[in-house]
Amino acid sequence: MSYKISEEGNVSTVFLNGEIDMDVTEKAKEVILPLVEAGKEVHLNLKDVSYMDSSGISVLIESHQKALESNTKVVVKEVSKSVLKVIMMAKLEQILNLE
Amino acid sequence: MDISESKDFLVHSGSLKEVRTFSRDVFDKLNLNKDLKDELVLAIAEAAQNIVKHAYKGVEDTKDHMQIKISMKDNQLEIGFYDKGKPVVSENIQHRKLDDIKPGGLGTYFIKQIMDDAVFKKDQQQWVNHLVLTKRL
Repeated sequence: MSYKISEEGNVSTVFLNGEIDMDVTEKAKEVILPLVEAGKEVHLNLKDVSYMDSSGISVLIESHQKALESNTKVVVKEVSKSVLKVIMMAKLEQILNLE
Repeated sequence: MDISESKDFLVHSGSLKEVRTFSRDVFDKLNLNKDLKDELVLAIAEAAQNIVKHAYKGVEDTKDHMQIKISMKDNQLEIGFYDKGKPVVSENIQHRKLDDIKPGGLGTYFIKQIMDDAVFKKDQQQWVNHLVLTKRL
């Protein structure tokens, strides 16, 4: 997994790339959670994420919940078809902010 | 097409990518469609992850290997997982309730959604745990 971050005002967009599994979840959290905890609105762009398992889903849930605690939000954007299937299997499409 | 292939992997989260590559290669030989292949690869990766995360919980840098065997015969897909971690008590395995939104606890749920059956067999002397996932294709 690799990533790129762009900042515009109070919005940080994290572009994740590659496959998100148990081996990279700590790295993903280290990138995303400090932005959320700083009160930024975080956009997670997943268009280049080709695979995500339950560990990756846990990162999305934890980010979403941290955002609620920090009075901000995480928006999940441009989800690839394969990742959307996993999100839907977990019945999270109504819980996460998907765009 | 009948097939039977197995491969050993170091019990480590870094092996999960290799597990997926192995699985995709086998399913490519079976000419499965992409959606089905993606689901099966997810189920296999979740089961392998459970070995790393649960059967070897608290074990750092083991040199143990797990073995994954994918077999297809008469349109019945069977995937075997063998490991030498802590014995699994299958009665204790349960996924979290989906409406209890929190990180974790989804891997087993995904496996059950994708596969027809998941059974721990006590038929091995060489290994400690033997999980068999099956699906009629």
